[in-house]
Amino acid sequence: MFTTGSKMFLGATALSVVATIVFSASEGGAVGLMGTVGLITAVVIFAFLAGINLFTRDGNTPSMQQGVEHTSSAAQPPVGRSMWPLGAAVGIGGLVIGAISKPVVFKVSVVVLLAAIVEWMVQAWSERASADVKYNANVRSRMLNSLEFPILATVGAGAVVYSFSRVMLSANPNAGLWIFVVIGALIVTGGFLFAGPRLTSRRTIAAICTVGAVALMGVGVASAISGQRTIHPHPVIDDASQKPLCLEGGEEEVDEHASQDVSLKSSVVANIYLQEDGDLIALINGMPGIEYHELTVPRSAHLGVIFHNDSGEAQRLTGRFGTFPDKPEAVSCTTAVHPGKSAYFGVSIPKSNAASSTPFEFIVPGVDGATIKIVVP
Amino acid sequence: MTVLTRRLSGTVIAAAIVLTGCAKNAPQDTFQPKGPNARTIDDLQRPLFYIAGVVGLLVFVAIGYSIFRFKDRGQDMPEQTHGKTWLEVLLTVIPAVILSGIAIPTVAAVFKLDEKSNECVINVTGQQWWWEYDYSGTCGGVEITSPIVTSGELVIPADTPVLLRITSRDVIHSYWIPALNGKRDAVPGRLQTLRMQADEPGIYTGQCSEFCGLSHARMRQAAVSLSKADFQTWVTNQLEAYTAPEAGTLAATGESTFLNQCARCHQINGLLLADGTPALAEPDLYVVAGAAPNLTNLMTVTAIGGWTFDILTDECREELWNASPEDFGALYLQGVWMNSGPDAQKPVCFAEATLRDWLRNPAAMKPNYADPNKLDSTGGRTRGMPNLNLTEDQIDQLIAFLLERK
Repeated sequence: MFTTGSKMFLGATALSVVATIVFSASEGGAVGLMGTVGLITAVVIFAFLAGINLFTRDGNTPSMQQGVEHTSSAAQPPVGRSMWPLGAAVGIGGLVIGAISKPVVFKVSVVVLLAAIVEWMVQAWSERASADVKYNANVRSRMLNSLEFPILATVGAGAVVYSFSRVMLSANPNAGLWIFVVIGALIVTGGFLFAGPRLTSRRTIAAICTVGAVALMGVGVASAISGQRTIHPHPVIDDASQKPLCLEGGEEEVDEHASQDVSLKSSVVANIYLQEDGDLIALINGMPGIEYHELTVPRSAHLGVIFHNDSGEAQRLTGRFGTFPDKPEAVSCTTAVHPGKSAYFGVSIPKSNAASSTPFEFIVPGVDGATIKIVVP
Repeated sequence: MTVLTRRLSGTVIAAAIVLTGCAKNAPQDTFQPKGPNARTIDDLQRPLFYIAGVVGLLVFVAIGYSIFRFKDRGQDMPEQTHGKTWLEVLLTVIPAVILSGIAIPTVAAVFKLDEKSNECVINVTGQQWWWEYDYSGTCGGVEITSPIVTSGELVIPADTPVLLRITSRDVIHSYWIPALNGKRDAVPGRLQTLRMQADEPGIYTGQCSEFCGLSHARMRQAAVSLSKADFQTWVTNQLEAYTAPEAGTLAATGESTFLNQCARCHQINGLLLADGTPALAEPDLYVVAGAAPNLTNLMTVTAIGGWTFDILTDECREELWNASPEDFGALYLQGVWMNSGPDAQKPVCFAEATLRDWLRNPAAMKPNYADPNKLDSTGGRTRGMPNLNLTEDQIDQLIAFLLERK
């Protein structure tokens, strides 16, 4: 009545039902809800798979002949060795170590353990599916390859990408440029060679790719261990202790590459220009040619402006965002920006300027009259 | 279910879907442009639909022919052939030609929609689940001497190109008035532009078109277009100084109730605290988005609660919506006081029950996240207006006070 495949899924369904009941009864709150939903999902999936197996009789034409499975196949003794008990042992060991060390070890071990159990179960089941070892291997492949290949591909691609990112974070910026050039050239050359069927066999291609991936991961691990290079951030200065810096001129903290956030450049409140004559003007999208000396900014919205320094000296843009009861004046600024360069300046003003005892404005410290009034309705 | 029943059901459903396209009362119909930008889109989409319709028809005919012509009737398997170069070239070239032909007017329309001859800039800020507009500078020749902040209804001068600068305070929303232009996403941290222009005075409705949470369906908006003279009147009215209610009246008590219950989130420009200092709302302390509607001129709008609930009676709403462009402005500027006459004590067109229900329990009308027991993750700040548990007396006082915000 029940096919071999359906027995496994029916068992898994029953187990999931019991787990759902126990878990939902013992665990409350958001965790309980999430877990219960997950287990119910497992019940549905296992029941669905069991139904499919029953309906298709395991997709095995001979098994649709009544009694065949009893007379010839599963009664045969299993063959082959399995590495999955070892995998499960590693998972359990990792669980113990993870429980007393780092959560990430614990989580990875849970994944290893679950994977080992599933693989072990399916292998044990498939080896009893029939007397034909080749057929059994095929059954196992049909069951698990659709899961294994995407997962392994994802893990493999992730490992390569992660390794490459470690290399790039470790290498200095100039070396990074050459790494890109060399790897790009290698990929193009390799593609050219592989495209010619007479030049290389599939085996050679696989070997080269494997060696390349292993080498990349090896360098990646070494880079990760050596740590990333020092990356100089380009922050807007909004520390209260930096207030004097924001309100004074000078070239301290000059940053040639201050504007790093490319994605935001096209969607700013305004482009603010410090012109050669010391005038500070704002231009906004959609209103070309109009120079604004007043900007209206919605309150509590995270927005930005881009400061362009067209003067002959390094300058910074400072935002004065008001003084409210029991608080010092809110001031922040860009780093000083080289002539001809620009900087992004994030703005979020939670209060209306009507409530402030000091003006809301953009200024350039040290440049008289370089002011743009900020209106926050 | 019998075959006949199935066929009948299918026919009825298909007919219902087709008939929805015949609706007359469809203010958000994208095929009824009321401004040059929407017309540009319409001029592009109509021929595209025709072309797509012809292509679709040809495909369905070909599929239908293949199904009937080559149905399995027990005949031998036909000869399997692969590759007819001329056919494959033809089937590649035809779509390429069609797409190239479509690309030319499409790109032209994109550039046309980005024309920069604007005469007015309005900031549009979305949050869960309403839109805020702020005006400053000059709009259609009308000088706005101090910022105007409104919600729900975007009031613009007719026949004037207006530039909207759209952003969001919390999640992604999308601003859309189908009769005037296409959609534009409101993205936190970004400021995007959209042009609006209405041919003539009228009211044009829209809907947030990016799913933004629990009450997304109740995040509506409208653009109200007024003649330049009426727009000047509207601006002047918006900028009028606050007038305190007459002492001893119900509205005066309502002012105190407002200060105690509402003013921490809602701003009314000019409203003073008992010590004579300005009452300044601090919605950033109480609302996740950091903003709540400015109620300075609440009674000049026609709907509240994210422009979802009419505060005009059904009759007055019909009268306003069906008014001719010449009469529209005068009616709109009267708001709930439409048809009331200069000496009326109470507005004829005021749907009081709507505002009363809203004040009694906003969450019952518009689902939100304002239950004080469930705000741990937001530090006690709400998404939407909480139930303030106002008494009926307090609601009476507030309504009397708010009716004077006109």
